[in-house]
Amino acid sequence: MPFISQLIGHPVADLDGEPVGTLTELLARYEGRIPHPKIVALEVKKGKRSLMVAIDDVAVLIAPAVSLKEKQQNVVPYEPCPDDLYLVRDVLDKQIIDTEGVRVVRVNDLELMRVDGGIFIANVDVSGAGLMRRLGLGTLSRRLTTRSPRATLRGVISWDDVELIAGDQPMRLKVPGEKLVDLHPADLAEILSDLSRQEGRDFLESLDLETLADTLEEVEPDFQASLIEGMSNERVADVLEEMEPDEAADLLAELPEDRSQELLELMEEEEAKDVRKLLAHPEDSAGGIMTTEYIAVPPNLSAESVMQVIREQGEDVELIFYIYVTDVENHLIGVFSLRELVLAEPGTPVFEFMEKRVVMIGLEDSQEECAQLIAKYDLIAIPVVDREKRIHGIVTADDALDKIIPTTWKKRLPRLYH
Amino acid sequence: MRATGLFWKRLKPYRTRLAILMAVIGPGIITANVDNDAGGITTYSVAGAHYGYSLLWMMPLVLLALVVVQEISARLGVVTGKGLSDLIRESLGVRATAILLGLLVFVNLANTVSEFAGVAASMEIFGISKFISVPLAAAGVWVLVLRFNYKTIERVFLIASTIYLTYVASGILARPDWNEVWHGFYTPNFQFDLGYITIFVTIIGTTIAPWMQFYQQSSIADKGIKVGNYRYEIIDVVIGSLFAVVVASFIMIACAATIFKEGVTIETAKDAALALGPLAGRYAQTLFALGLLNASLFSAAILPLSTAYVVCEAFGWEASLRREIKEVKVFFGIYTALIVLGAAIILLPVKSLIQTMLASQTMNGVLLPVILIVMLRLVNDRGVMGDYVNGRWFNLLVWVAVIILIILALILVGLSVIPLFVGKGFQ
Repeated sequence: MPFISQLIGHPVADLDGEPVGTLTELLARYEGRIPHPKIVALEVKKGKRSLMVAIDDVAVLIAPAVSLKEKQQNVVPYEPCPDDLYLVRDVLDKQIIDTEGVRVVRVNDLELMRVDGGIFIANVDVSGAGLMRRLGLGTLSRRLTTRSPRATLRGVISWDDVELIAGDQPMRLKVPGEKLVDLHPADLAEILSDLSRQEGRDFLESLDLETLADTLEEVEPDFQASLIEGMSNERVADVLEEMEPDEAADLLAELPEDRSQELLELMEEEEAKDVRKLLAHPEDSAGGIMTTEYIAVPPNLSAESVMQVIREQGEDVELIFYIYVTDVENHLIGVFSLRELVLAEPGTPVFEFMEKRVVMIGLEDSQEECAQLIAKYDLIAIPVVDREKRIHGIVTADDALDKIIPTTWKKRLPRLYH
Repeated sequence: MRATGLFWKRLKPYRTRLAILMAVIGPGIITANVDNDAGGITTYSVAGAHYGYSLLWMMPLVLLALVVVQEISARLGVVTGKGLSDLIRESLGVRATAILLGLLVFVNLANTVSEFAGVAASMEIFGISKFISVPLAAAGVWVLVLRFNYKTIERVFLIASTIYLTYVASGILARPDWNEVWHGFYTPNFQFDLGYITIFVTIIGTTIAPWMQFYQQSSIADKGIKVGNYRYEIIDVVIGSLFAVVVASFIMIACAATIFKEGVTIETAKDAALALGPLAGRYAQTLFALGLLNASLFSAAILPLSTAYVVCEAFGWEASLRREIKEVKVFFGIYTALIVLGAAIILLPVKSLIQTMLASQTMNGVLLPVILIVMLRLVNDRGVMGDYVNGRWFNLLVWVAVIILIILALILVGLSVIPLFVGKGFQ
């Protein structure tokens, strides 16, 4: 399989053997549904003059010297299309996103492949061996390395797993973008932390609201704040509505006062209300890390009616595994789990199988206490109540433990010399 | 109370601008302070002590050059959002990157050696042998960077670097003949001997060190300053450069007024400390030692780190202090190697710590035109900078500076090398 670095710099001659110039660039384009771009043209330079030649006018490309099918004067210059990818200018030596390995890497070389008479870009070489080849030490690198299969796999990425970083391109490419949306938000966040600030912002612009919200939730609030710096307030408000209220509150707490206020005013009333409530509590109290999205039902509701309630509210609520039981004034009087609900007779009222001794925590209690109670009683979530035992929200286990155990899995703000 | 509220609101556009300025300030000032490292202090001290006020005329020109170079570096950083080695790799390809970074690593190693020389020299004032002070410093720096948040380290250093203001105080207290000083500032004189040209190139090399350009651009790119806020960054750059050159000039003046007047030459750090005599009297040596130690330690911490980042950034190796060592082998290797080698070389029998420090700065001066040419290439590339390319007159200005620097460097190398061939020793 020839590499592009081995072709660039080759002399180009026409039908009569007259030298036309040196091969300096290859253009490629996606054709049909094939995920690998096909070479459609090359650029030949002689001194200051440059000539674009369509691939159909080329007799042999992969050879020590490139030969054309026509005489130089008869070659019709190729007109580049807006979709054309300039391999040397825009891909080689640039950073790309490896959606398979979930990382940002630099292109050291491109591997080409001949299929059905056409030449396609097969793989991207990001390995050290590729680097050595570019420096002209190819044979040396082959002798020195006994590559483990795993190392070889990481060093070479198939083009269809590659996502170009949009910011560098003079025009946006339409085919990419799909591969990214399929990734888990935690992976998107990982990639995000590898990009430069501007690239990160461009990256986020291309995501839809839901994915954007999910991805932002995977990074630390200070990183979130820096990422949304460049975004319009309207878009940020939309994202905040999509996010869990407690996450939204954390993000707003990081922003300067005036922007925070503006955003709250732009948000939908209901959502803004929840977030404001959360912002009212000190950050490191139970009230500060709780979410206001939980399911609560009255005590005389039957099991099957509760199922109906879950079907209606389940989409929007963070946790449906525990259902809380409250009286008319919102006092917390019981709790039961989904397991108990499913195992109960459909007609049974809730107060018959609910647990009346509810483990709860006060609004002002600390996060450490939350974590301790959750650990002690093996809970997934703990309800947060005020002094009159009225329920205000729940703290999920991951949020409680978040503050205690340093979040190495949550992406931090990539600082210089971090 | 409503009145104050209204007043506050009306100040809003100014508050916003001040806020942006505060957010943006940093890279330029920090880089300028890093300028006054062991090599810097030594160079300016020697310049003042051996040549009196006669080199002062250089300083305004050097200031101009510094501002211009820093501005280009800042512009590159703000517009592209990328570091310099990143850009070099993307625009000039692998071979050029390998050569340039190879040279940079070599010169940076020399600079690291110079920092440890500074540690050794300052500790010798207290009578502590270099065999104790240097390994301790190397180990300390290595651990410090790995354990502590970099931002904290940066802040601590910045505060400590206010020590340089002592030079300004000292320069004034030494009661120099201000007429002479003024005269020195506007009377250019140039001699064609090796010593003069060397100190000339050395001053330039220490004020506009190549590694600083890489460091600053990474800093700026990391801050993510928006192109619209670029003018705030200019303020940062200008203030930083001004501070650096003012301090440098005062170091020269203080040394000229004290050491030169006494007819002493600087052989060791103790001699250089005399310059602080007017201010600190018998505490001059202690003050100087502390200042030099502070400067050396901080640069010894940043320099290997910056070099490791720069190399890994260009070649796509993972670079982070937070990962497991086995994940960042190359990064960690470069960082550790620079510290270990830097310290080890100083422990070898070295004739003069002072000369070692000077030599590394001279190397900076010789490498500088190469890096400048690369930066010019990048900043004039429309594909990289869009509309923010250099104007024609600006280009002319910079090219003139570059050519002068190249000529000086060539003469320097020529004058150093030819006697070797002719078989003569040289002073």
